[in-house]
Amino acid sequence: MSRAFSWRAVLVWALLAALPALPFMSKFYLLLAFDALLFGTIAMALDLLMGYTGLVSFGHAAFFGLGAYASAALLERGILSFWACLLFALLVVGLYALVVSFFSTARRGIYFALLTLIFAEVVYTFFRYTQTFGGSDGIQGVAAPRLVGDFAIDTPLRNYYLVLVYLGLAYLACRVLVTSHFGRVLVAIRENEDRARFLGYNVQRYKMAVCMISALLTGVGGALYPGRSAFATPDLMLWTVSGEFIIMVMIGGLGTLAGPVVGGAFFVLLQEKVSSYVDWYFIVIGLVLIFIVLFMPKGLLGIRELLGGRRWRTTA
Amino acid sequence: MDYLVAVLLPQLLHGLVFGAALGLLALGLTVIFGLLGVMNFAHGELYMLGAYAGITVVGVTHSFWAALLVGPLAVGAIGALTEVTTLRPLYRREPLYGLILTFGLALVFREGARQIWGGDMRRIVPPFTGSTPLLGMTYPNYRLFLLAASSVLLLAIWLFFTQTRAGILVRAAVQDAEMLDGLGVNVPRVFTLTFAGSAALAALAGLLLAPVFTVYPQMGVEMILLAFIVVILGGMGSMGGSVVAAFVIGLAQSLLTLWMNPQRVAIAIFAIMIVVLIVRPRGFFGREGVLE
Repeated sequence: MSRAFSWRAVLVWALLAALPALPFMSKFYLLLAFDALLFGTIAMALDLLMGYTGLVSFGHAAFFGLGAYASAALLERGILSFWACLLFALLVVGLYALVVSFFSTARRGIYFALLTLIFAEVVYTFFRYTQTFGGSDGIQGVAAPRLVGDFAIDTPLRNYYLVLVYLGLAYLACRVLVTSHFGRVLVAIRENEDRARFLGYNVQRYKMAVCMISALLTGVGGALYPGRSAFATPDLMLWTVSGEFIIMVMIGGLGTLAGPVVGGAFFVLLQEKVSSYVDWYFIVIGLVLIFIVLFMPKGLLGIRELLGGRRWRTTA
Repeated sequence: MDYLVAVLLPQLLHGLVFGAALGLLALGLTVIFGLLGVMNFAHGELYMLGAYAGITVVGVTHSFWAALLVGPLAVGAIGALTEVTTLRPLYRREPLYGLILTFGLALVFREGARQIWGGDMRRIVPPFTGSTPLLGMTYPNYRLFLLAASSVLLLAIWLFFTQTRAGILVRAAVQDAEMLDGLGVNVPRVFTLTFAGSAALAALAGLLLAPVFTVYPQMGVEMILLAFIVVILGGMGSMGGSVVAAFVIGLAQSLLTLWMNPQRVAIAIFAIMIVVLIVRPRGFFGREGVLE
């Protein structure tokens, strides 16, 4: 437990909690901050797979989108309890992730990536063309969920604190996970899967477990989304969105947990900043990704090493 | 009988036409995969650039044939430039980085095309119209040309890989690049030229299909998934397998639309793919254990 705990993380979290007190934090910036933290958390969840286990998932958008749809579908039908939405999202994403992870983890490398991608495309195609869920328009204009009684999460500030709590809990869970014995087995699988198997570990069970955890964390992130945006659309689960999640992890730095949070936030802020000046921000994002792959494969957190700073706590 | 001629036969031909064009696209993808170990996510964008390059050339020269020559050459040059500047530094790194890099390239190409040519749906007018009576029905001339041209190209590529020294060098590089390097062949040049060739093929496929389909910046996004499916079905790195699988997918898609709505067809094809990946990941003709 002590290895999972870090005062620095607590400090950063406290600073984020104080962020809305800044004078220029308008509603617009609060929602931007919400997105930054939400996608940061999702990138962190993906990092469990990519950075620690060496499995690249091209299907995380489906977990995110399913969570959003599960939550929006309940809100649309007048079930406004936040906890009901959360449970339902966990159930839906969990069932889907069980199937995906069972079949995908039987394969490695590119085959894992493509299996997750194709499973996600099935989900996308289903929602895109099913009128019960609004077809290509998705579910629009849902009410805000209620946390307790009549306390609705209906302002940007409340949404921001909700996602901040989620980030804190998810980060703690991930840190406990990667510093535990379980986490070290994951790294062993990444480094040499056959050797881990020969040592007697049931490799597929470990891979399935981490896949499920990553999917559920992403699904919860999705469940928070309709509260902020009031919609869930099939575009949320297009495979290019999965690609964006991968970009966030790469920008931040593989296998660092904190890195992908920074990467996700950086991606959201970059997109917002650049798109307010020019409408070709995807070129900028593409070039940033290419630059990072070519020149700084360790991501933004790798800069600290370049500057001679203390080595960031990477994989256990 | 009427059903056969009026419904089944045209659909069968559509499937063959689409399969042949898909084969051109998948062939380049599978060769690059065999060579660099990279699934090229930007391949769909090279296909899209081919169609747009065609629109520009047709706009200037009013000749589809000029476009057919200049388009693939231009996109091939873009491919060579891309390979030298971005993929070459990654040769000795994990293939994963290559995959992610090509995703970035795809973003740049797609948005670049939208900036240059706009986001609207566009079309290329077919170089000839009319239709030919065939087996009791009539079939558009351009589609027949498309089928013939793609088939001739596929044959030419097969001859290239089996009969010419250059083609054999590429196959040798797929087998064992290090050994080839040891024998004194300039392997990086082989890689670059192969990438350029694969880009030109993708562009050609995009250009040939442009009069039948519509041209828009996102057109590669849907096509690339189908091409991935073809490559896996045929067996990663197996060229013959890709061509066979392209026809299988082309025919399956056009025949299934007779009985199902398009989204069910898409899901059915994804389902076939998932089963293949789980049961026989090396596909029809792939070598066992490649990147499994």
